[in-house]
Amino acid sequence: MPERDVPWRRGVAVVFHYLLAITSVLVALAGTKILQPNSLRSPLFLLAIILSSWFGGLGPGIVAGLVSTIFLDYFFLPPYNQFKLHPDNLPLLVVFFVSAVLVSYWSALRRRSETELRRARDEQEAKVQERTAELRQANEQLQAEIAERLRVEATLRERASLLDLTHDTIFVRDMNDRVTYWNRGASELYGWKDDETRGEVIHTLLRTVFPKPIEQINAQLHETDRWEGELIHTKRDGTQVIVASRWSLLRDGARKAVAILESNNDITGRKRAQQALQKTQAELAHVARVATMGELTSSIAHEVNQPLAAIVTNGNACLRWLSNSTPNVDEAKQSVSRIVRDGHRASEVVGRVRAFFKKAEPEKTEIDVNKLIEDVISMVDGEVRGHRVHVRTELTPDLPPALADRIQVQQVLLNLVINGIEAMSAVNGLRELRIKSRSDDKGSVQVSVEDTGTGFSSEDADKLFQAFFTTKQNGLGMGLSISRTTIEAYGGRLWATRSENGGAVFEFTLPTNGMNA
Amino acid sequence: MKDPDSIVFVIDDDRSVREAIESLIRSVGLTVNTFASAQEFKASNRPNVPSCLVLDVRMPGLSGLDLQRELVDGGMRIPVIFITGHGDIPMSVRAMKAGAVEFLTKPFRDQDLLDAISAAIESDRARRLQSGEIAELQSRFGQLTPREREVMDLVVAGLLNKQIAMNLKISEITVKLHRHQVMEKMKAQSLAELVRMAERLSQSAAGN
Repeated sequence: MPERDVPWRRGVAVVFHYLLAITSVLVALAGTKILQPNSLRSPLFLLAIILSSWFGGLGPGIVAGLVSTIFLDYFFLPPYNQFKLHPDNLPLLVVFFVSAVLVSYWSALRRRSETELRRARDEQEAKVQERTAELRQANEQLQAEIAERLRVEATLRERASLLDLTHDTIFVRDMNDRVTYWNRGASELYGWKDDETRGEVIHTLLRTVFPKPIEQINAQLHETDRWEGELIHTKRDGTQVIVASRWSLLRDGARKAVAILESNNDITGRKRAQQALQKTQAELAHVARVATMGELTSSIAHEVNQPLAAIVTNGNACLRWLSNSTPNVDEAKQSVSRIVRDGHRASEVVGRVRAFFKKAEPEKTEIDVNKLIEDVISMVDGEVRGHRVHVRTELTPDLPPALADRIQVQQVLLNLVINGIEAMSAVNGLRELRIKSRSDDKGSVQVSVEDTGTGFSSEDADKLFQAFFTTKQNGLGMGLSISRTTIEAYGGRLWATRSENGGAVFEFTLPTNGMNA
Repeated sequence: MKDPDSIVFVIDDDRSVREAIESLIRSVGLTVNTFASAQEFKASNRPNVPSCLVLDVRMPGLSGLDLQRELVDGGMRIPVIFITGHGDIPMSVRAMKAGAVEFLTKPFRDQDLLDAISAAIESDRARRLQSGEIAELQSRFGQLTPREREVMDLVVAGLLNKQIAMNLKISEITVKLHRHQVMEKMKAQSLAELVRMAERLSQSAAGN
């Protein structure tokens, strides 16, 4: 105990112990004097010594022994009431004194060991109590935690069952893309049960096709904690679904990313309908253009042919009027004047046609060329699969919008893509169509379509863009000619080169708002 | 005005072509009548002489092919020569099946058209002649009584008067009387001629 170490207290205790020793001896003397005067056999001195050494330790015990010996000699051994030591009494006093010392010693020893024992016991008890308290506290804490956890689990279960109610597909995956939660909507959409997906790597299981490299997606996810986009997944039965996917990053208290919650919405039907609609629109536009072209051509041909036919017939009639046995000059003159009139008429028709084409000023809007490329690819899906062609795109993101008519450029690109696919129909090896978009040094948007077909010969290179030139059996030879006219109408260029692998590369540029002059 | 020997009808909506063809046909001495539309042609009064029709396929309103079908359906057997700016094969097949004599693409050779016209007029003339004779025979046949027709059928079939009498359960004298009437009314000089007449009548009846 800390009090023990206070010096003045110890001093007081020592003085008190010595006083106690002397007092107890005095009491023993008084007691012996009263009870058995002149008798040595009084145990009271020994009692005083034991008492002194018990409470005061060895020092007070010895002092009590010494004082008792002196008192014994003085009061109870002859010569009485004198300090004079009789030699006969010496052994007795020595024995007494030695006994007193020994008693003191043992007593003090005993006392000390007992005190120490008690202290040790006390300390142990205190320690045990301390431990017990700690243990109780820990226990209480644990109980509270368990209760809290149970409560949280119940809440979680409740929320999870709520997630099961939604029609949306929701699952959670850890940072290694392994599934940790899978709701009923997910089971319904993909066909795997909750316990079958637990721990599976999600992108492997669903054969996810990403709209852009996964590294970019993850980068965005970690930056903003969110990502949204369209994914293609393969279901258990092997069919593909297009989903609108939303990812949210889950972070723990230390802001460390721990899981990703992904909720997907099946938009396959909508997407297919949209694609079909786009395809139909494009086809319609194409058909309308072809029909218009055909009608126009036929109409122009008729308009020009009528006066020509009349001219030929009038010429013949004129010859006949003149070669009759009596030539009829009047009739011949009339024929010739009709020829002149019809010649003018034919010329007027040609002039009207020219004026008509000049008048048709193209309409310009801003076009996302990458989106346009993707649209065209989805339109030719059937042809691509039918011809077993692999389509590869290398699209430069964030291109400036091109200025042209969307449908017309779509037609041009469609034309180039179909040409490329058809050019590879005789190829036994790799059939790859590579479509690239980029920004050129003048600020134009440039699109290239490269095939691995047989390409074109150098003598054909000059004729490719001429009207009515075709290498196809059923070709009209109008496609590339019209395509070039279309692109040039918007201030772009369309040209062809041969690729390294011998195929053809068709490239076109379209102007943008941010053009360097 | 006296009806001409023959006439060519030209229908074309294009004035230049119409005038040129008219001049060409007139230059060889034929009579021409031109129309700007099929409707105009249908509404016209046409002289009943050997003729042919030069018809443009592509016209606003009633097209050349439509007019041809209407004429065929109406039993009017005028030979048709088609002219067209752009003749395709299905169109020409359709026209020829419906009885067109020629299908010419503009601009055509003048001789081709003139040859086609004269051939068409000749065939119309022959047809008219033939159909005129048959009409005469039909009108004679129409004068016969039912009993006389029965007798004629059996006579032409080669039966003797006695057999005819048995067949019809009448007297042989009566048969002779009917037979005489038939020869008279049909203006047949001999039994052989009566047989020929009967053949032509049955042919025309089968043809209709």
